[in-house]
Amino acid sequence: MKVVGKPLQRRDAWDKVTGRTRFLADIPRDGAWCGGVLRSPVARGRLLRIERDAGFDWSQVVVITAADLPGPNTVAMIREDLPLLADGEVAFVGQAVALVAAPDRATLTAALTALHPVIEELPPVLSITDALGAGTVIWGEDNLIADYTIAPPDMAAFEAAFAGADRIIEGEYRTGYQEHIYLEPQGVVAVPRPDGGVEIAGSLQCPFYVLNALARGLGMERDKLVVRQTPTGGAFGGKEDYPSVLALQAAVLALAGGHPVAMLYDRHEDIIASTKRHPSRTRHRTAMAADGSLLAVDIDVVLDAGAFTTLSPVVLSRAILHAAGSYRLPLVRIRGRAVATNTPPNGAFRGFGVPQSIFAAERHLDRLARELGTGPLALRRRLVLKAGDVLPHGQVLPEGGAAGSLVLERAVELSDYQRRRAELDEANAEAAGRGDPLRRGIGVSLIHHGAGFTGDGEDRIATVVHVRGEADGAVTVLCSSVEMGQGAETVLPAIAAEALDLPLEAVRYHQPDTSAVPDSGPTVASRTTMVVGRVLVDACRDLVEQAREHGSDPRAVWSARAAAGEPLTGEGRYQPDPDIRWDQEHHHGDAYPGYAWMATVVETEVDMDTLEIRPGRVTAVAEIGKAINPVLCVGQIEGGLAQSLAWGYLEEIRLDGGRYLNDRLATYIIPTCLDAPEFTVELAEEPSPRGAYGAKGLGELPMNGGAPALAAAVEHALGAAPDAIPMTPDSLLAVLQKSDREGRP
Amino acid sequence: MKIVCMVNGARRELDVQPLRRLLDVLREDLGLTGTKEGCGEGECGACAVHVDGRLVNACQMPAFQAHGRSITTIEGLGAPEAPDPVQTAFVESGAVQCGFCTPGLVMASRALLDLKPAPSAREIRAGLAGNLCRCTGYGRVVEAVSRAAGQPAARAEAPALDTGPPVPAPDDAVQVLIPNSVTEALTILDSEPCRIFAGGTDLMAAFHAGMPLPDKVLDVSRLEAITGITMTPRGVSIGAATCYAELLNTTEVTTHWPALAEAARLVGAPAVQNMGTVGGNLVNASPGADLVPALAALDGVVVLASARGERRVPVANFYRGYRDPDRRPDELVTAVELARPAAGLRQAFFKAGTRRAQSIARVNLAACAQVDGSRRLAHVRLVAGSVGPTIVTLQKAMDYLEGRSLDHVGLVEEARRLAAGEVEPIDDVRAGAEYRRAVLGNLVGRFFAMLQP
Repeated sequence: MKVVGKPLQRRDAWDKVTGRTRFLADIPRDGAWCGGVLRSPVARGRLLRIERDAGFDWSQVVVITAADLPGPNTVAMIREDLPLLADGEVAFVGQAVALVAAPDRATLTAALTALHPVIEELPPVLSITDALGAGTVIWGEDNLIADYTIAPPDMAAFEAAFAGADRIIEGEYRTGYQEHIYLEPQGVVAVPRPDGGVEIAGSLQCPFYVLNALARGLGMERDKLVVRQTPTGGAFGGKEDYPSVLALQAAVLALAGGHPVAMLYDRHEDIIASTKRHPSRTRHRTAMAADGSLLAVDIDVVLDAGAFTTLSPVVLSRAILHAAGSYRLPLVRIRGRAVATNTPPNGAFRGFGVPQSIFAAERHLDRLARELGTGPLALRRRLVLKAGDVLPHGQVLPEGGAAGSLVLERAVELSDYQRRRAELDEANAEAAGRGDPLRRGIGVSLIHHGAGFTGDGEDRIATVVHVRGEADGAVTVLCSSVEMGQGAETVLPAIAAEALDLPLEAVRYHQPDTSAVPDSGPTVASRTTMVVGRVLVDACRDLVEQAREHGSDPRAVWSARAAAGEPLTGEGRYQPDPDIRWDQEHHHGDAYPGYAWMATVVETEVDMDTLEIRPGRVTAVAEIGKAINPVLCVGQIEGGLAQSLAWGYLEEIRLDGGRYLNDRLATYIIPTCLDAPEFTVELAEEPSPRGAYGAKGLGELPMNGGAPALAAAVEHALGAAPDAIPMTPDSLLAVLQKSDREGRP
Repeated sequence: MKIVCMVNGARRELDVQPLRRLLDVLREDLGLTGTKEGCGEGECGACAVHVDGRLVNACQMPAFQAHGRSITTIEGLGAPEAPDPVQTAFVESGAVQCGFCTPGLVMASRALLDLKPAPSAREIRAGLAGNLCRCTGYGRVVEAVSRAAGQPAARAEAPALDTGPPVPAPDDAVQVLIPNSVTEALTILDSEPCRIFAGGTDLMAAFHAGMPLPDKVLDVSRLEAITGITMTPRGVSIGAATCYAELLNTTEVTTHWPALAEAARLVGAPAVQNMGTVGGNLVNASPGADLVPALAALDGVVVLASARGERRVPVANFYRGYRDPDRRPDELVTAVELARPAAGLRQAFFKAGTRRAQSIARVNLAACAQVDGSRRLAHVRLVAGSVGPTIVTLQKAMDYLEGRSLDHVGLVEEARRLAAGEVEPIDDVRAGAEYRRAVLGNLVGRFFAMLQP
C-alpha cells in the first residue's frame, strides 16, 4: 500500500504549530452578543420564581426563562427528561434556570448578578448509596435510569455453582469522576437567519446530534438549521452530548433577540456545567472450587448518572458488555444499573463506561490471584480469551479476533515484567532495611475494547459518506466525522487516497457542516477510522464506477464533470452484516464488529513518607487491526494512557452538597510534562474484515488499560491493595491503615 | 492608558485599560489569536508568550506591564514558509494533536532552548511543566524538543524599547502609579492606599475569578532598588521584586541557601517562576506558600519601609493570622535578608504537592540543623506550610531537639510526634487533616534520616 500504514505528517500540523488554526474563539464575531446562564446554587428544590433587581435596566438584555421557550423545553438525547431550563424544580447544582444575552460581557455579568432564583430547598440524593436506598425518589419510580442484566446461559447451574462453591471471593471497586479538560473550553456561536432559522458554529464532535436537538428543542424544520464544526481543541467525549445543550441555549437567545449570540465558556464554567465520567461502584463475587477453578461469576455494576438520562443507558450498556474483562469465565451474570442523583448529569468520556467496569474486573482478577497464591501474570495467562471462546453476552471470538495472548506476551517481554518484578521485590526489601521511603512496584493489565456502536447501533446510524470529484483532479471527502485532535482530517483522506490510488495531496477533507456533508454519524465510539473509513472506501469505489461509465480514466472524467459544473459524487452507505445477531433487550449476541486488545505494564514509585505516586515507565502493546497512520496511533495510545493513569491517581472531584469543589484548573489536577511517564508503545496488527484496510477502532482502548495496571503496581509497591481510584495520598493512607501493615505514615 | 511596546518586531501604540490582560490585548486588539486561553489563571500555559525574551503567561500580565517591552507570540516565532526549528520539530515528531496547547508549548520550548541549547530529558520536562497538554501524554513533545536542541531561533527577538512611562487616560478604570524610586513609592503609600502590584501571578488570577479591581495600583515591578540579589557582609539581601527564577539562577543562593533554591524550584513552573516575586509570596500570605517556610527556617528577616523609616520583622513572626501579614498599608516590603548560614548547617525543603509542578503544597516543610562533632544538634529550625492558617514554626519539636544528640534513643520518633501534635491542619479540597498531620511527621523524620551519615 502506498499511503495506508505510512507515518505521514498530519495535515493540520503546520497551521497548528504556527498559531494559524482558528478555533471558535479566534474567529471574529463582530456584533455578536454574549450569552450566559443563570444556574441553580442548590442540588434539589422547588423553583418558586426568579426575582429581578428593579434597579437594573432590563431593556438592554434578553432574558429567557422556561416560560419563554419557543419549543418543548427539552434537550433531546436518548430520552427527553433533561429540560433546557429548570421549570418548577431544580435537580442539580449548576442547572440552567434562565438564559441571558447582552451586548457585552460586562452587561451580561451585571444582568446575571441582578437575577435571583428563589428556591425552596429539598433534601437531595447525593450518592449511589443514597440513590439505591429506600429513601428519596428523584427519578422515575426507583431512581433507576437504566437497569440491564446479561444473564448466564444456565441460571440454575449459576445458582448451584454459588451454592456448592468451596469459597466465594468478593470485592468492591470504586472509580471517581473525571473531567475531560480538553484544552479548548466548550463554545458555540448561534446566528439567526432571515428565514427564522439559525446557524450554529461550534467546537463539537457530533454535528447531527446538535442538529437533532435543535430541531426538537426549537420545534423547527431541519432545513432552517445548520450546524458547522469549528476546529476542535480536544473533546474526549466531552463534546459529544454537551454541545447540544449549549447550542440550544445560544439558539434560543439568538432567535429571541435577533442578534448572533456567542456562548464561550471559560474554564470554570466549563467544569461546573459540562458532563463528567460517571463515578462507579462495581461488586464482583466469584465462586471457586476447592482446586482453585472458577465456577461462576456475579458482577454488579452501578454508575452514578447524575440527575438526568443524557447518554447513561448506552454508557451502562457498554460498561456491562466489558465487565467480565478479557478472560474466559464460566457462568457469568452481569447486572448494570445507572442511578439518578442530584448531581450534574454525567455523560460520554473516552471509554464510555468500560474503563470503570474493566478497572473492577482487573482488580478482581488480581484479588483472585492473591487468593490462589499465583501471580497476577500466571492467572492472566491461564484465563486469557482465545479464538472460539464465548463472551458472557454470547458473542464468539473468531479466529484472528482474539489477540489477548499476543499482546500480553509481547508486553511482558518488552517490559521484562518478570525479571523487573523480582528485582523490585529485592530493592524494596533493601530500601525498607535502610529506612529509604521509596518503594517501587510493577503491574500489568490486559484489556480489550469493542469498536463502533453497540449491537445494532451502526445499523441505526446508517453511515453515509460522499467523495466528490473536483475539477483539478482532486477529490473531497464529505462526512460528519470531525477532526478533534485524533487525526480524522489526516486518516480519512489517507484511506481515500489509498482507495483511489491518488497522492495524499489530491484528497481534501470538508470541514463538517450539516448543510454540505452527509451524516456519517457522530465522532465517537472509536468508530471513525474503522466504520466510517470502511464506508469511505465504498464511496471511493462508487466514484470510480460512476466515472468509468463515462470514460476509461476516472480521474479525467470526474475532473471534466466538475469543470462542467456537474461534479460526480461517489456515495458509500453502511451495509449491515447479515451474519450479525443482536438482541438488545437481553444484551445478547454480537455486541461489536471487532475488539482491539492491549496489555499495559506500569512501573511506579510510591513515596511512603508522602504517599505520592510517580509512574515511571509504561509499556503498552496494542493490537489494532491495521495502523492506518502509525504515528497517530502511537500518539492516541500515549495520550489515552496518560489520561487513564491520571484518572487512577491524580484527577479527583470532591463534592460538597452536590457542588464540585475541584472546579478550576488550580484544583482539578491533570498531569504536567513532569508527571507523565516514559512510554514504550508497540503496535500489533491482525486485520479485521469489518474495518477499513483491516483497521479496528483504537481511540478509547488506551483509556481502559492505564489505571488498573497502575493500581496493580501500587499494590506491588505497598503490599496493600487499592480497590478505589483515584489513589490520592489520602486514600492510600486509608488503604494502609486498613491493611494494618507498617504503622506509617 | 496609552502604552508602547514591540510586538513581533513591530512597534505598537495601544490604548488599553491598565489591568486588561496582555492576553486580551494580543487576541482582541491585535488579532493575534495564536495565543490561546485555556484557564485564565496561569495554570495551563496555553497563553505563553515571550516578554523581553522570557516565558510568561499572557493571562497573568496586565497591559500596563507590557509597556516598553518586546513581546513575541507564536505568530512572530515563525511561519510555515520560514519556521522556527521548534515548529518543524513539532510537526516532524508528531507532537501535535488537537493543537490548542501547541502554540504555548512551542513558545515554552523555544524559551527553554534559548536558555539551555542542549537540555536533558529531565530539563525538557521541567521546562515544559507549565504547559498542560491533554492529547499527547507529552512523549512526542519531549521528543520534538530533543530534536530541535542545538538549533537557534529562526528570528531574533526585538530589543525592549527605551521609553518614558505609559500615559494615563481619563477613562482608565484603575489608576496605575509607577514610581521611579522607592522613596517616591513610599510617599505615594503614605498619602493613599494602593494595591501594590509586582509579579501579578496571584492578583491577575484573582481578578479573573471575580475579585473587585482596586481603584489604585502601585507598580513596584520596575523598581530596580528592590529587584535582584545583593550579597552583603552578613549574608544576602533579596529584593522584594526579585522573581523565583532569579533565585534559581544565582549560584550564591543555590550554594548557601539550598533550601530556598529548592522551594523556588518547586513553585509553579517556568512562566510563573519568571513572573512571581519573593515579596509577593511573602505578602500574599498563603499558608501554602513554598518560599515562606524556607525563608523562616533560614531566619530570614522581612524589611519593610515606609515614609517613617524602616522596620525589620523575622519571617517567622510576620503573620498574625490567616492571610494577615504584619504590614501596614503605608509600608512596602523592600527585601528579605538572610544571614550566611553557619558552617555545616544542613538544610532541606520538602513539598508534598498535588503533582510534580504547577502544584500547591498539601504539606511542606523547611528544616535546618547543625550537627557538631559529638553528634549534638544545634540551631534546629522546622517550619511547615499548609498545616494551619499561617506557616507554623514547630517550636515544641525544635525545643526538644535543640542540644540533644542525634543518637538519643527515640529522638526522631519523639520529634515526629511533637511536630504532628503542634499543628491543626484542616480538611480541604487538596488533602485531609489526618494526612497532613501524618505526612508532616514523616517529613520531619525524613530530615533526620538525611542527617545520618
